[in-house]
Amino acid sequence: MKHIMYTLYFFGTFFSCTSAFAQQVDSDLLAIKERLDAIIAYQADMSLDIHADFIKMPTKYATVTYTKDQPLQFSSDDFILIPKKGLDVTMSQLFEHPFITVNRGFEKQNGKTYKVVNVIPNDDKSDYSIAKIVMDTVMTRIVSTEIHTKKEGSFTLQMTYSDKTTILPEQLEIFFEMERLRLPFNFLGKNAEIDRKKMRSQESQSGSIILMFKDYKIKYGSSVSR
Amino acid sequence: MRALFWAELFKLCKQRRTYYALGAILVMEIIILFSAYYQGRSFIDLLLTNFKETFYFEGNLLNGNLLVYVILNTLWFHLPLLLMIIISGLLTAEYKDGTLQTVFLQPVHKLKFIACKYLAAILFTLVSVLFLMITAFGLSYLIFGQGDLIVYLDTFNFYEPHDAFHRLIWAFFSGSVTMVFYTVVSLTMAICFKDATITWIVAAFFLIVSSLLIRIDYGDSLFGKVLYAKLGESWQYFFHFEIPWQPIIINNGLLIVYSILVMALGMLIFTKNDIS
Repeated sequence: MKHIMYTLYFFGTFFSCTSAFAQQVDSDLLAIKERLDAIIAYQADMSLDIHADFIKMPTKYATVTYTKDQPLQFSSDDFILIPKKGLDVTMSQLFEHPFITVNRGFEKQNGKTYKVVNVIPNDDKSDYSIAKIVMDTVMTRIVSTEIHTKKEGSFTLQMTYSDKTTILPEQLEIFFEMERLRLPFNFLGKNAEIDRKKMRSQESQSGSIILMFKDYKIKYGSSVSR
Repeated sequence: MRALFWAELFKLCKQRRTYYALGAILVMEIIILFSAYYQGRSFIDLLLTNFKETFYFEGNLLNGNLLVYVILNTLWFHLPLLLMIIISGLLTAEYKDGTLQTVFLQPVHKLKFIACKYLAAILFTLVSVLFLMITAFGLSYLIFGQGDLIVYLDTFNFYEPHDAFHRLIWAFFSGSVTMVFYTVVSLTMAICFKDATITWIVAAFFLIVSSLLIRIDYGDSLFGKVLYAKLGESWQYFFHFEIPWQPIIINNGLLIVYSILVMALGMLIFTKNDIS
């Protein structure tokens, strides 16, 4: 009888704990995570367009190579500025450590309704404090994210897809903020009209980078597909 | 007239100071390249400090195009000073040596003589700028290679190598108009002062005043738009992301008009005054 009581207590505790964990992570997000986790490597050609008042740069081209658990690799003949945050389209860093989700209802973007969840890390190792994820639950993919990091401010990503089935975006827009410009004034051209008061008063500068990806070579497990 | 012009060119080629000037231009470039070789990287790092927090960089910004741009900045003071000294010497040396009197013992027309001096001065200026351009591109590309050019003019402007090359070439052309203006002024000063030392001092003072006048913000006033010192910086417009051709053409056009007026004034003074 005592054994039966212990067994019942053990199973009761186990099932209550697992069901509680399952409730804490959104099932739609888990499905997306599963699709993204299946990608172990990819390579794509990309173009970079910077939209910021303080930077004028022509469209730049590069090749990006991703291998799971390794930093992204870039190669280009041009000089390119690559954003430090937001290029992780597989969201591997976001899902690296345990997390819970909080359902935030639905949000309309471009006439479509998407599910919104907040992702809160359960582990101190995570470098973000909270993230908002807008998901397309029908296509099982992420539409936009707003990630608040612990040390490097926050950034927003907006993703656009080329067709209904792809999991990796064709277009990624990364919104960023920079500390106000501090310039070595002896570099400035003599007719550079610098409003120093204005420069000092500016707390930060914002802008966005639009990345267009094409010719994806995605590796799922041992198979390679385009 | 043609014989007089050839005689002026012959004198230019024969005098040592012509080669000193070209040598000085070369030394100036080597010093700039030498300092860039040792300090350029840290300077670029300092310039891009803000970007480092947000971006990774791929590629090299310390390259030949940036170095040619830095060398172009000698157009503000160093090159005009050098040219003004050499060009004014074309006439002051003749006053000093008394060769001017020897020339006018022959049936030489004063106006034609001084016009040829001006033409030789203009030609020497253009050759000097061309020499600066060829050596700047040659040495910079040889040592630092090609690459994107970064320039800060209100915004951080990045130019691809072929675009940067074209802009730099145009800037040299535009800069040569400014240099011609300064050399024409220096020859006119030589006509007025005759003495080499006085002319050099006045020429240096003129350049210092010009560089001070550039720094003053005249807003949208007409004075700011027609002031020679401001017109002389038109070459910088080639490093605006969208090249503003209209002000470049107007400014260079005005500078050519000023050069002709200064030249006319010099010719008038020279022909009216006694040569002794």
